[in-house]
Amino acid sequence: MPRPQPRTITFTIDGRDVSAPENTMLIDAARQGDVEIPAFCYEPKLGQPVGACRMCLVEVEGIPKLQTGCSTPVKDGMVVYTQGERVKSAQQAVVEFLLLNHPLDCPVCDKGGECPLQDITFGWGGGISRFIEPKRHFVKPLELSPLIAIDRERCILCYRCVRFSQEISEDYQLVLLERGAHSYVATFDGHPYVAPFSGNIVELCPVGALTSRPYRFRARPWDIEGAGSVCTLCPAQCNVTVTVRDERALRVLARENGEVDDGWLCDKGRFAYQSFHVDERITEPLLRDGGRLRPVSWERALQQAAAGLARAGASTGAIAGDHSTNEEGLILARLMREALGSPHIDSRRASSLPLELHRALGAPGLQAKVSDLEFAHAVLILAADPVNDAPILDLRLRKGVRRHGLTLAVASPAPSSLDENAATTVRHAPGAGAIFAAALSAALTDDEDAARLARDAGAEPEAVRELAALLRGPVDDVPDTGETPPREVVILWGERLAAGPNGEAGIRALLKIAEALGMGGVEGAGLLEVPATSNGRGLREAGALPNAGPGLSEPASAGRDTRAIAEGLLDGELAALYLLHCDPLRDLPDSELWGRALASAGTVVAHAAFLTEGIREHATVVFPAEVYAEKEGTIVHPDGRIQRLRPAIAHPGSVRSEWQVLAELAGRVGFDLDLLSGAMASRQLFESVPFYAGLTLEEIGGRGVRWQEREAAASFPTPAGVTSAAGKLEITDTPADALELAGFRSVWDAPEVEFSPALGFLFPHRELA
Amino acid sequence: MAATGAPLLLFTDIDEPGLRTLEVYERRGGYESLRRALEMTPQEVLGQLEASGLRGRGGAGFAMGKKVSFLPRGSMDKYLVCNADESEPGTFKDRELMQKTPHTLIEGLVIASYAAGVNCSFIYIRGEYRLQADALDAALSEARAAGFLGENILGSGHSLSLLVHRGAGAYICGEETGLLDSLEGKRGNPRLKPPFPANQGLYQGPTLINNVETLSTVPSIIRMGGEEYAKLGVETSTGTKLVSVSGHVTRPGNYEIELGIPAREIIYGLAGGPPEGREVKCWFPGGSSSPVLTAADLDIPYDFDSLAKARTMLGSGAIIVVDDSTPILNVALKVARFYRHESCGKCTPCREGTNWTVKMLERIASGEATPMDLEIMASVQEHIMGNCLCVLGDAMAMPISSMIAKFRDELEAHIESARASRGLEGLAGSELVPVAQGAA
Repeated sequence: MPRPQPRTITFTIDGRDVSAPENTMLIDAARQGDVEIPAFCYEPKLGQPVGACRMCLVEVEGIPKLQTGCSTPVKDGMVVYTQGERVKSAQQAVVEFLLLNHPLDCPVCDKGGECPLQDITFGWGGGISRFIEPKRHFVKPLELSPLIAIDRERCILCYRCVRFSQEISEDYQLVLLERGAHSYVATFDGHPYVAPFSGNIVELCPVGALTSRPYRFRARPWDIEGAGSVCTLCPAQCNVTVTVRDERALRVLARENGEVDDGWLCDKGRFAYQSFHVDERITEPLLRDGGRLRPVSWERALQQAAAGLARAGASTGAIAGDHSTNEEGLILARLMREALGSPHIDSRRASSLPLELHRALGAPGLQAKVSDLEFAHAVLILAADPVNDAPILDLRLRKGVRRHGLTLAVASPAPSSLDENAATTVRHAPGAGAIFAAALSAALTDDEDAARLARDAGAEPEAVRELAALLRGPVDDVPDTGETPPREVVILWGERLAAGPNGEAGIRALLKIAEALGMGGVEGAGLLEVPATSNGRGLREAGALPNAGPGLSEPASAGRDTRAIAEGLLDGELAALYLLHCDPLRDLPDSELWGRALASAGTVVAHAAFLTEGIREHATVVFPAEVYAEKEGTIVHPDGRIQRLRPAIAHPGSVRSEWQVLAELAGRVGFDLDLLSGAMASRQLFESVPFYAGLTLEEIGGRGVRWQEREAAASFPTPAGVTSAAGKLEITDTPADALELAGFRSVWDAPEVEFSPALGFLFPHRELA
Repeated sequence: MAATGAPLLLFTDIDEPGLRTLEVYERRGGYESLRRALEMTPQEVLGQLEASGLRGRGGAGFAMGKKVSFLPRGSMDKYLVCNADESEPGTFKDRELMQKTPHTLIEGLVIASYAAGVNCSFIYIRGEYRLQADALDAALSEARAAGFLGENILGSGHSLSLLVHRGAGAYICGEETGLLDSLEGKRGNPRLKPPFPANQGLYQGPTLINNVETLSTVPSIIRMGGEEYAKLGVETSTGTKLVSVSGHVTRPGNYEIELGIPAREIIYGLAGGPPEGREVKCWFPGGSSSPVLTAADLDIPYDFDSLAKARTMLGSGAIIVVDDSTPILNVALKVARFYRHESCGKCTPCREGTNWTVKMLERIASGEATPMDLEIMASVQEHIMGNCLCVLGDAMAMPISSMIAKFRDELEAHIESARASRGLEGLAGSELVPVAQGAA
């Protein structure tokens, strides 16, 4: 769908000529001329303005009444005054009105010091109080949820939180009750406000009415610092600011990046920082001694690990997992391939794909951006469930449907949170995502197998046909003159599409669908993968794959994939296992196989922050792992945006950087990786991956940069004609064999959630009979 | 009741028993205007409405024909909503119309929908009007059965669905956008304008909203012809108007008058004036939200523009008369408390301003105020007026500030006497120091 391309107009504000995009609201347009119009209820992220607080009243020439700057679109030649007596008096009056019932408990209020009401009172208020009556009273504070406290006396009824709940997260829980001066915010049913994105209302609140319970009374704004970073707790990689006091993370706030997160955070991203500072965190090296893991010195741990790896040599397997950076992936691959001579490294969960498919999937012309989810004509969700895989994308899709007329289609085995927003939902059998993709591709290419494949996938053939028609879009009556812009379709697909025996066929089907829908090279259309790990894309591009080196290059020799590593450990082909941020029992499919494999491994070296089951029971050496707020390095967003992690807090205990440990181990097995700093590791990465060539940390900066948009992208090894060469799709298994239950893990099911005291209640406790 | 000598349009045969039934209504010439309208083109009907000069009878006084013409042409879903939420204190004219002659409203609605090209309409009636809603429902079934409503009305090809929706009793739901929110099933809060309902109203579709009396006048306009109708009344206030007279008069009730007659004629001539031995102290010319006038203003012609010139308004045509037995403070408190109670709470000046005003007035009553408070109160009203999301805030600020301006002496005396009765020192004559400066 074409994105709005507003023309620039010139208007006059306080006697100055200012240029701004036409129809932006005055309040935003004024900023272009360095004029600040104060406001409380206005927040563009929340959609249409409501004009409730009346703080932004300004004078517009030709209109008798004062106008709200938040809802008046700027026009060419408009003349606006924000400093006149009338405006000043109205603004002063609104501040006075707001303070009538606002308790002046700023000295004990968490918001004090970073409070818009304080700032605006100071800047635009009258400075005196004429109100001597008693203020409105409520019981304070109340527990709105385990994460949020609500102090209704402080509330200025700006509607932001209610609008968020009603129009952004669409959980419809928050409402205003009562009327007039008695109004207050509450949940409609009196139950706690529990929702995946509830924490955003704390950040939206312009006063101290909604405060974060884990942050309450922990710090004042003048003794904290904000450190920009990127959350690596799921593949969405939202940009965050970590609030730091005395080297501890006390809070996480959104750091708005329209191309990544749109300024929102999920509750995991917002509150899981608590797990950085809990007793369960591993902060020193551990060594298995007499069947138990015991703390040891770094020297001892490194020595033992190096000895184990040296013994195993080429029969070592390695798996890189969640929140490993690109650099760590690259160094681990070098440790394996160059120092130990072992090709057995993987970062994916499903069985290995041919290299040409990796290249086809990653081809720059076929990549959709996050913002395309909002502006596309249609989006299909395939083998993914945004709220459980990359939560923030859920909000983006809702926005697309609500504000931009996006047509959403959901194909999934189970009901999803986006079903209500979808134009069509198609259910297929669990684990049959790949067969479903084959059915859809057949339907799109009018293949006669479409109906049979749909039935094999457990889906209604008619529904698959309808989905195909929906994705193709309405058939134009007008002959295509080449002037109509191409239809933009995005497929948001999960890595688990490639799981199971038909995985490769599923990926080929996906590529055929992309071809049939003409996605290649169309701006605004393409594929967007949700990898199974937060930096799945980066690790692959850095060469943490059994059949690819850095930059998806042809490796000297191909190695074992994840599952084959387990099998190798079981049958004695492999002797040692290196686990970078991965607990196979927790993170990988077939934990039964992995239980046996780990038990038979000679040496298991792990980098872990928490003693999860597989690490606790099977690791020989455990290095304490960094969390993202301590890391230095780069990660790659699923849409190709290279983002930079910067250390926000210091390492607790004796934690060391992963790159340092990996380099040290390589040295101890007799190979110098030539690494002295984190920046050197990044440089090695940019030099090793041809399509990152010339990149610098400065260029990545705070917003990241999509490598597809740089010149070096031309050196991506795009294969020619993978899909058409693939011919008929081979579906090998019968549907009954293809069933794979519980093939993925929700991002909410993570140690960071479990070990965060305030967030723990969201940890999905599963009861398996 | 009708004014003797005045032309009767809306109140023709109003007290005829059974007028609410289709049989009697038709016998009295009902639905003839509809037949005539359907023989014209919608554009011609609109032309008649525009020629009549009919201005909205709900309070704002916007030209009805113009409002209809604002509705975009085309085949999108458009709506006609009749505002029957009559909740302005002192107003009870729509109640009598709906109760006694519901078919007039239905006929007017169908004609208006034809002119505006609308096929779906609602009557939003306040919850307390149970009798009237029942009367409407009964009339609707009769009209439907007789083919005056529904598909292909009288073979004209025009169709209209009409539903009566009962509100839950909030003043703010009489505000047109609050009404739309309430009709959509939401909390009745006013919306930001623009977009105006004519562009984006009910369910985001173009919507025409008219008062009961306005729509009920439409059949008369079609019967008489727009130009003939425009001869009634005065130039910018054409036609007849129902006025609800209440308060200190001996014959309170609804009267149909020709616009432009002196107010004295209504208050004294029709309603009988205040009881023996008392004088008019002040009167609200158009509901409790209009700035008050005094006995000196009784000869003002009762029409839209003359009242606007006197810095008040005709509003809904509800005249509330207050005689000299009532302290002005009691009137102010009554008005302010009503609007505080009914403020929806969405925008700041109205929510906080109404609340603050009541508190100050209560302080005057309890003898804890100083004349300084009148200054503050006046400035608060000024800060409310024109700065709110909808007109509810103004609806309190306008009468209150007019009372402070016109009855300042009385209020000051009240402050003094109330202080004295509490044993507090009098303040008259002493130099007043603003509270905030005094505290500094």
